Amino acid sequence: MTPSATAQATTRRFVRADGPDKVTGSGRYTADLSLTGTLVAKFRYAQVSHARITKLDVSAARAMPGVFAVITDADVPDVRFGPMVQDRRLFARDVVRFEGEIVAAVAAVDAETAQRAVDAIVVEYSPLPIVNDVESALSPDSPLVHEDWADYGAPGVMVRNRNDASYASIAKGDVDKALAEADFVVRSHYESDGCHAAPIEPRAVVAQWEGNKVTIWTSTQVPFDARAGVCETLELPSSRVRIIVPHLGGGFGGKCGFHYEAHVAALARIAKRPVKLVFSRREEFLAPDKRREGIVYDFETGVKADGTIIARKARLVIDNGAYTADAGFFSQLAAMHALGPYKIPNVLSEAHLAYTNHQPSGSVRAPTAPQTCWALESHTDEVANKLGMDPVAFRKLNAVDSNVEGPSGQTYGEIGVQQCIDAATAAAGYGKPLADDEAIGVAIGWWPSFASASGAYIKIDGDGSGQIITGAQECGTGAVMTLRQLAADELGMQPEDFELVYQDTSAAPYDMGATGSQTLFNNGRAVIAAAGQIADQLRELAANKLEAAAADIVLADGMAHVAGSPDRGVAIAKLAATAANGELLIGHGSGPPPPAAKAVGNTCVGDIGMTAWRAPQFSCHAVRVRLDRETGVVRVLRVSTAHDSGTIINHTGAQGQVEGGVMMGIGQALTEGTKYDDQARQRNAALLEYKLQTCADAPPIDVQFVEIYTPDAGPRGAKSLAEAPNVATAAAIGNAIAKLVGSPVRRLPMTAERVWETINAGNAS
Amino acid sequence: MSQAFESQSFNLNVNGVDYPVNVEMDRNLLSVIRTEIGLTGTKEGCDDCECGACMVLLDGQPVNSCSYLAVQAQGRAITTIEGVMTGDEMHPLQRNILEEGGVQCGFCTPGMILSAHALLERNAAPSEEEVRIGLSGNLCRCTGYTKIVAAVQRTAVELRS
Repeated sequence: MTPSATAQATTRRFVRADGPDKVTGSGRYTADLSLTGTLVAKFRYAQVSHARITKLDVSAARAMPGVFAVITDADVPDVRFGPMVQDRRLFARDVVRFEGEIVAAVAAVDAETAQRAVDAIVVEYSPLPIVNDVESALSPDSPLVHEDWADYGAPGVMVRNRNDASYASIAKGDVDKALAEADFVVRSHYESDGCHAAPIEPRAVVAQWEGNKVTIWTSTQVPFDARAGVCETLELPSSRVRIIVPHLGGGFGGKCGFHYEAHVAALARIAKRPVKLVFSRREEFLAPDKRREGIVYDFETGVKADGTIIARKARLVIDNGAYTADAGFFSQLAAMHALGPYKIPNVLSEAHLAYTNHQPSGSVRAPTAPQTCWALESHTDEVANKLGMDPVAFRKLNAVDSNVEGPSGQTYGEIGVQQCIDAATAAAGYGKPLADDEAIGVAIGWWPSFASASGAYIKIDGDGSGQIITGAQECGTGAVMTLRQLAADELGMQPEDFELVYQDTSAAPYDMGATGSQTLFNNGRAVIAAAGQIADQLRELAANKLEAAAADIVLADGMAHVAGSPDRGVAIAKLAATAANGELLIGHGSGPPPPAAKAVGNTCVGDIGMTAWRAPQFSCHAVRVRLDRETGVVRVLRVSTAHDSGTIINHTGAQGQVEGGVMMGIGQALTEGTKYDDQARQRNAALLEYKLQTCADAPPIDVQFVEIYTPDAGPRGAKSLAEAPNVATAAAIGNAIAKLVGSPVRRLPMTAERVWETINAGNAS
Repeated sequence: MSQAFESQSFNLNVNGVDYPVNVEMDRNLLSVIRTEIGLTGTKEGCDDCECGACMVLLDGQPVNSCSYLAVQAQGRAITTIEGVMTGDEMHPLQRNILEEGGVQCGFCTPGMILSAHALLERNAAPSEEEVRIGLSGNLCRCTGYTKIVAAVQRTAVELRS
């Protein structure tokens, strides 16, 4: 089924177009920009987790020499916003709900003056009771994080109740009856801490007004979303707001959503000067409404003695933090991950999204998935152990397969989960003898592909070179870079023939941005459609020149020639020169997204369409670890992966996504977790205390793809990829540790301290 | 309130060029390179010596310029990422990290290249483990390091032959 045209694209060695800028230091990131007269922005943060503002006086700060603007809630339109639940304002009004909430913003001539002005702002608080954990947040007598929650705008389908910002459930069959009939029932409890996206580039925003229009350069993953946020909160039409993203220094979801663009634009409007905000690393940890959510999990799984899973109950409580940001869909997504890619006839999976006085949660690389996969797959090994079955054999028996109904009632087409299990475990040497204190843990994971509208233009100039003008956003993955390959293959040209014009909302049509692993999946379709229009034009031109039918013209190797007669041809560059004096070569493309997937036979509460997944991706990770029993220190020795992400378009880029996703998963497994004090303030908001994995920690990583052409998906049968490799690593590490320790470490991250405590749990007396 | 430090005039030699600067005694080398000298290839990732994005070479030795006073760098040869090329020709490290796919977002890349440069200067034939330890002061969140390590090893082989 695979179209033959893909062969060239999939085997080509890929050097990214933005690479020379990046290796020579000439590439400009947002913080590298300077405009004449630029002021420095700084924020005054709440610094307390829950309190009523009793006094806010900025007059001393405003009076300071060198201070051009000091703004608060009183200086911006009266707008409450939020992608799903409208629970947030640009600046705190009356109440602050987490320590990183912005109370005021300053623009001044330099950083020192701005900081002095921030310090001169007088804020007095009356403390409110702090909600510091998710279970107590849901108790009927818990203090409310939002007194006015019932008045907030939200989609009617969302089920909200007091501190529960979103309840969702997936139900199928009769779970209680099936549990009663099961030969074994296993119950498990797990908890995971929140953690951070931690891109190496801290956020930066520069805003400049010219007349009544503002241009904002910003380190966002989602320029169109950022524009929509500015328009909504400052009450501007999109025709007056232009977002440009210079090179973006990583995102991992942390730079999704609309962040500080409106604050900086509002400062610049009042100051009548360009204003620049650059975050410190500490602000990166404390302020954004994007960090990976902590979750508490309870599982109950019923199996027959032959190993067949017949029932699962799951209850999850997700830490929403103080505002919902883009986390409104997390409860249903997490409920899906609590079921996992398994055939289960009877299910009840419930998830709550609990407001607390923590930093807000938001989409970080595969939101809810790695930690829920860790908990579920740890539980899965516990079930296999109870049966006395090998955990891999247990997964092979129960995992979904092609044309078999999954846990939410969706039946998938041809999928490769079984092949992924075989490939990953074979590469890891699963079942072969290991050294003392070594073990291999195995986990499987899944993740959807997200279909979205997306657009691009292409033009070919008279010299035969062209531009791809796309709304797509590059956050490092190389997905935008790969678009050149798609255009070149459609037109019989070379990727190097195309310049990319991207990350500018006023130049290009809409795209959802570097979010949901969707760039190539959706914008690839747009670029192919745009190239197709030009291909049609070239065929017409060539047909006239060669006295042949347009349908018989083939575009290849820079030539347009008659099919079957390679000698009867004309150079595409020559056709482009002809067109430059007549009808110009211009293509535009978007094309309808692939149809939505459907789940049948289940009952959902709070259904926002997350129980059926378009082009789901599957993975298996097998991880070999070594444990130092004296200290609890775990060393990851090798990670063997296999992924079904459909056709792989760019192997170099795809490998990089898997290697990076695995490394992030190792961090989540072992070192990355936010610690809170009793006042709900982060205790480790610095890279010294919040440890990312280094080059010396990194193990060898085997990368394998089970390439299955997937219809109704991305271009050439591709699914998405960037988030999926982050899903199963921590789970596999957890299962390896559990084998060595004899029981799972029940809290993520599985730090040396927690591993040691688990080893020594029986020796407490 | 922060103490105001006196300014001092001195020269900084960056990539073989002497730049006269007049900056406060407490200014770090990173901010002077970026804002006074105008070379923005050196990045700020944490201002805390933890990430390595601000790495430069001082007389060939890698230093986190966020935590090094500009005034201390007087009389020393400072190399930034902009000084690694020879004319228009990329250094093999730059070419190889690109060809191996060791660049994604690129924010850590300048510091990573300078660390690798210093490593290969002091050890022309590093083992994989020596490369990994040599680069462990430079955080990368994108790549998982695999392709960066491969690029450094490939460069070592090229430079020896």
